[in-house]
This record gives sequence, C-alpha cells and structure tokens, in this order.
Amino acid sequence: MGADIKNLRLRIRSVDSTLHLTKAMGLVASSKIRRANDAMLKGREYVSAVGEMVDTLTASPECAKSPYMEKRDGNRTRLIVIAGDRGLCGGYNANIFRLMREYPDAEVIPVGKRAYERFGREFIPAEGFSRADGYRLAKQLCEDFCAGEFDRLGIVYTKYVSIMTQDADIRFVLPLTRNESAKESSILFEPNEAEILAAAIPEYVSGIITASARESFACEVAARRMAMDSAGKNAEQMISDLTLQYNRARQGAITQEITEIVAGSGV
Amino acid sequence: MRTYHLTISTPDGSMLSEEVSALFARGIEGDLAILAGHTPFVTTVKAGTVRVELADGSEKAATTDGGILSVSADSTTLLSGTFEWNNE
Repeated sequence: MGADIKNLRLRIRSVDSTLHLTKAMGLVASSKIRRANDAMLKGREYVSAVGEMVDTLTASPECAKSPYMEKRDGNRTRLIVIAGDRGLCGGYNANIFRLMREYPDAEVIPVGKRAYERFGREFIPAEGFSRADGYRLAKQLCEDFCAGEFDRLGIVYTKYVSIMTQDADIRFVLPLTRNESAKESSILFEPNEAEILAAAIPEYVSGIITASARESFACEVAARRMAMDSAGKNAEQMISDLTLQYNRARQGAITQEITEIVAGSGV
Repeated sequence: MRTYHLTISTPDGSMLSEEVSALFARGIEGDLAILAGHTPFVTTVKAGTVRVELADGSEKAATTDGGILSVSADSTTLLSGTFEWNNE
C-alpha cells in the first residue's frame, strides 16, 4: 500500500511538470500566431499581385515560346517540402510526410528542421524563412529548370484554413500554365519579353516560396497551439484522476491502520 | 488631371493602392512617366527613386531596389522586392 501511494505521488508530479511544459509551449505559440498570420496575409497579397501579372504575361502570344511555359514529357519532379522546425504540434509534420509518400521519386529540397532530418541536404530553417532565402532558392531553381534539369517544380506546404483546420497541400509552380480566363492582349515589352520573363519569373517563384513558407509557419503555430491546448486538458484530467486514486489509497491505508490498532487493543 | 489606380506591392505587404495622377520611375531603357490612359506595357524598373503624384496633387518619393512595372487597361502594378517611402 505504501509503495502504491508513493508511485501515485510520483506520477502526479511528473504529469504536473508535463502540464507546465504544454502550457508554456501553448503560450509561446499563441504569442506567435498574430505575427505569423500578418506575415501570411502579406505574402498572399503579394503572390496574388505577382500572379495577376504573370497571368497577363502568359496570356500574351509572345510569351508562349518561353522555356518557362514548356510542358515536358519527363517525370523528374523537384519538390520544396516545408515542415516545422520542432515537433509537438499535432499532426502538422506527419501530414506533410504522409502527402510526400505520393511522390517517392521526387528530388526534395527541405525547409524546416523536421524535413531536413528526413530528407537531408542543406538546412534552411522554417521559422524566420527570409525573402532572401526564397529568392536565392527561386533563382537557382529557375536556372535549373531552364537548363532542363527537372520537369516540374512543386511546393509541399500546409494550407491555412482556420485556426482549427490546416491541410497539407501541394502546388505546382513550374512550368507555368496559361490561365484560360486571362484575356489575351497585346502588350508592349521593354526591352523584350524574354528579359521581362527572366526578371519576373524568379520574382514570382520566390514570392510563392516565401508566401508558402510563411503560411506553413502560421499553420505550425496554430497547430501547436491547438495540440498544446488539448494536451494541457488531458494532463489536467489525468492529474485529477490520479489525485482521486491517491486520496482513496491514502484513506484506505489510514482505515486499515485504525482497524489494526483497534483489533490489537483487544477491546 | 486624369487619374488611374496604382498598386505598389512588396513581399512585406501593399505599400500603396489608390488613385494617382502620375508615376515616375527609372525603367531599364531610361526614365519614364506613366499617366492615365497609358498603353498596356511591361518593363523592369531599376534601383533608385520612384515618385508618385497622388490624386490631390501632393507628391511622394520612395526608394526601391528595382522591380517590375506592369500597365494594363484597368490596373497598374509595381512589384518590388524592397520599397520604402522616403519620409517614413
């Protein structure tokens, strides 16, 4: 009986320290949510502005011959996989890796420590992913794409639906596809369409990469906040269950002792 | 003076989205000004100063590290990696 009580006390203490940890991580995540959301919205805004321009460019007949629009038969896919730097965020990382199983042959460029640990290569952190990182990556990828080193470029990221829901998703960036709804118009290019595209496409790709990284990070903190919330609730529930057990055991021990004393006194 | 809608967008958010009467920038082939009713046009903008004349006649100047300017019939957009208003 005595050992039982001691074990219960130890378990309560250990669950309590877990509760402290989840609370702290939850608080850190909530303090980051706002900034992450702001960054995500700004990124989205920029992508839609660049996207509109790229739509106009791809709709113009002069750009149809561009190497960026060339559909290739090959199946060499390069994927930028954006996962988190840390765990303890529910299914956030697992969902990304589950989606990755559909592309076993793809060449992976990982962003975030968890993706790096899984796929190797160069380490780029997910939190604090800067525009410079995005641009460097985009420039390299655009050069490689034009040189024919791979056939399509995709980004595996997490789409932010709401604070409760985030979906792992993939979007293909290169080759560019013509947006059918964009109306064809004759545009004056200065100096010429090739140079405009050479400047615009890396900017577009880098915009999408950076925006995806920011969106994913917003998802990561939201997911972590929710995960820590429910972990905290579970810990509290566990502590209350264990406390009840502990009190019962204590009470049982006292009752037993009294019974023994009474029996021993021979009254 | 006739005005048109100008949007200046950067990865750190939109810097301007309002009616303006003129935009002055340094294009790849020299200085240029965009007024209302300009023909559809795309060019790259060099690093330097960009000036905007707002609908009320006041002028704002900014510094950019370059970007892409696109003029279409219904909207004009300047996309830039870095764009900062000079007096802010």
